[in-house]
Amino acid sequence: MTQHRPPASPALAELREHTGWLARDLAGPLRRVSVQSGDMMIEVEWQPQDAAAAGPGRPAQEEPKSPEPAGTQPAGTQLVGTQPAGTQPAGRGAGGFIVISSPMVGTLYRAPSQDAAPFVEVGDAVEVGQTVAIVEAMKLFNPITAELPGIVAEVLAGDGEPVQFGQPLFRLTATSPDVAAEAAGTG
Amino acid sequence: MFSTVLIANRGEIARRVARTCREMGIRSVGVYSTADHDPRLLRHFDQAVHIGPASARHSYRDIPAIIEAALQTGSDAIHPGYGFLAEDPDFAEVCADAGLAFIGPAPGLLAALGDKSVARALMRQAGLPLLPGGVEPVSSAAQAAGLAAGIGYPVIVKAVAGGGGKGMEVVSAPADLAPAFERAGAAARSVFGDGRLYLERYLSPARHVEVQVLCDGYGNAVHLGTRDCSVQRRHQKLLEEGPAPGLSPATTAAMGAAAVRAAREIGYSGVGTFEFLVGEDECFYFMEVNARIQVEHPVTEAITGIDLIREQIRLAAGQQLGVCQDNVALRGVAVECRVNGEDPDRGFVPTAGLLERFEPPGGPFTRVDTHAYAGYPVSPHYDSLIAKVVVWAPDRESALNRMDRALAEFEIGGAGVKTTIPFLQRVLADSEFRKATHSTVLVDRLRAAAEETGYDRRARN
Repeated sequence: MTQHRPPASPALAELREHTGWLARDLAGPLRRVSVQSGDMMIEVEWQPQDAAAAGPGRPAQEEPKSPEPAGTQPAGTQLVGTQPAGTQPAGRGAGGFIVISSPMVGTLYRAPSQDAAPFVEVGDAVEVGQTVAIVEAMKLFNPITAELPGIVAEVLAGDGEPVQFGQPLFRLTATSPDVAAEAAGTG
Repeated sequence: MFSTVLIANRGEIARRVARTCREMGIRSVGVYSTADHDPRLLRHFDQAVHIGPASARHSYRDIPAIIEAALQTGSDAIHPGYGFLAEDPDFAEVCADAGLAFIGPAPGLLAALGDKSVARALMRQAGLPLLPGGVEPVSSAAQAAGLAAGIGYPVIVKAVAGGGGKGMEVVSAPADLAPAFERAGAAARSVFGDGRLYLERYLSPARHVEVQVLCDGYGNAVHLGTRDCSVQRRHQKLLEEGPAPGLSPATTAAMGAAAVRAAREIGYSGVGTFEFLVGEDECFYFMEVNARIQVEHPVTEAITGIDLIREQIRLAAGQQLGVCQDNVALRGVAVECRVNGEDPDRGFVPTAGLLERFEPPGGPFTRVDTHAYAGYPVSPHYDSLIAKVVVWAPDRESALNRMDRALAEFEIGGAGVKTTIPFLQRVLADSEFRKATHSTVLVDRLRAAAEETGYDRRARN
C-alpha cells in the first residue's frame, strides 16, 4: 500500500487504512478481504487449509470467516480499529473510532418525538450513558446509549428506518485518551 | 395465498421451507443469528434479517425480534419450522395480534396439546387408547404409589410439561417409586418450570410408530400412513422409516383411522403427527401429538408424493385439503437417517468443529436435506443435525441397501467432528433391524454390544 489514491469519503479512507493493517497483521494466507462503505463492514476470509491448521491464535473451531467485527460481541458500542475480538492480538491502528450498533431488530428513531430535534448530530460530543437514539421493537421504546465518550463523526441509519441486530447506527471519534489509545491499538 | 413468508428457524428446515416457497412463487425471508451470518447459508432466502446474537434465546427464540423482522420485510405469514417457537402458543398468539398468519395450529390447540395431562384427557374423550395410568397430574409420592399399584409395574413417571425425554423415570419396583418421583419432579421443575408429573404403565419392548395427518379448517382430514421411529436413544430419533414395518395392514389402518378421528374431534388444522407406542401384540396406545412439521417428514413425502410443507402453507392460507383418503396411495418404502455432529462412542455427545470435507451422496431415489457445506462450522449453539439422508425403493430390503450405499458415499469430516454415520451403518447391518423385529431398545443393545467387544474404545485407548 505505497500508492495512495484519494478516497471517496473519509469513512472509506479509514476503512481502507484499517483493512491494510488487518491484512498485513493476520496470520496465514488470506483468501479475501472485503471492505464495504456505508455500513462499515469488513469481511475477512482465510484459505481453508489454513483454517484446518489451527495455528497459534487461531483455535481449530474458529470460523474461517469473521463476517463483521460486531459479530463476535453483543451489539452495542464497538471499538473499530482493533481486530475482531478473539481472532488476533490487537493490531496497530491510528485514529480509532467507536461504532454504536443496534442491539435489536426494530425501527430507529433519532429524536424523542416527531417535532423534537435529534438526540445527536454530526459534530456533537457524546458522554457515557447519553441517549443517542431509540429503537422501537413491538411498541417498546428502547433507548440506545453511548458506552464510551466520543464525537459523532457519522450517522449511519436514518430516522424511521428499519434496523437489524448489530447494524451500525453511529460512528464516533473517540475522545477519551484511554479509549482513543485502545481503539487505535496502542494502549 | 401468502406473498411473503418469514421462516423463523435455521439449518436444514429453514432451507427446506424456502425451497417450497420458491416453488410456490412465494418470497421467503430468512432470519439469522450472528453464528449463522454467512452468505452460503443466507443465499437460500430472497431476503434475510439479522435478528440477534448466537444464543437462541436472543435470536431464534426471541419473539419480538422475529415479529419485527416479519413486519419490516412485509411478510404476511411465519413458518416456525420445528423446535424453537414451533409449538409455543404465546408466539402463535403474538403472530395473530400482529396480523401475521402463523403456519401451524391455533394457539388454544397448541396450549392444550403441549400440556400432556390435558392432551391425554382430550385423546381419551376422542376415543384413542391410552396406556393404563392417570390423566390427572399426581401430587405426591404416596398418591403415585397408590396409582402405580393399580396400574402394575413397571411404570413410567413423566412431566406434564415434558418433551425430549427430560423429567422421565422408569420404575420397575414399588421401593424405587418415591425417589424416582422426587428426581423427576426436580428435573421437570428445573427444565420446564413446571414440576407436575403423571404416571402410566411402561410398555417394553415396544415400537414407536406415528401417523402423519393433514387437516383443513373445514372438517376434512386424511392420514398419510405411518412412520416407525423405534431407532432412538434417550427419545431422540436416529433413523425413521415408512410405512412402519412388521405390522399387519389391519393395525396400521386402525391407527390411521384413530388418528384422523381424534384430529377431527379436537378440531386440528394443518399438518400434525400422532405418536403411538405399539406392543408386541400390536395393541397401540396414544403418546402425544406433535403439532408441527417434523424432522422426518421427508419419509412421508417419499411414499405419498405429497409436499408436506406446501400443504402446510396452503392450509394455513385457508385453502381446502387437496386430497381425500381414497387418493392417498402409499408406494414403496422410504428411510431417513439423521447425520448428526455427535460421537456415538461417547454417548452421542455433540461434537463441534469445522467440516473440512462435505460431499453428500446422490444417485437414484436419494435425497439429502442439509444446510452444510465444506467449510461449515458445526456450532455448539444449536442442535447437532447436519444432514438428513432420505432414500426410497420399492421394497424395504432395497431401501435399506440403498441407504447403506448412500451413507458409504457420504464424505464428511473435520478436526474434532464425529458423526452418527458409523452407528447408523451398524443399525442397517443389524439382523433384528433387517427382519423388522427390533424395538425402542435397539440402540441401547447395539451400544452395550459395542462396549462389551471393545469395538468402540479400542481405537481410542
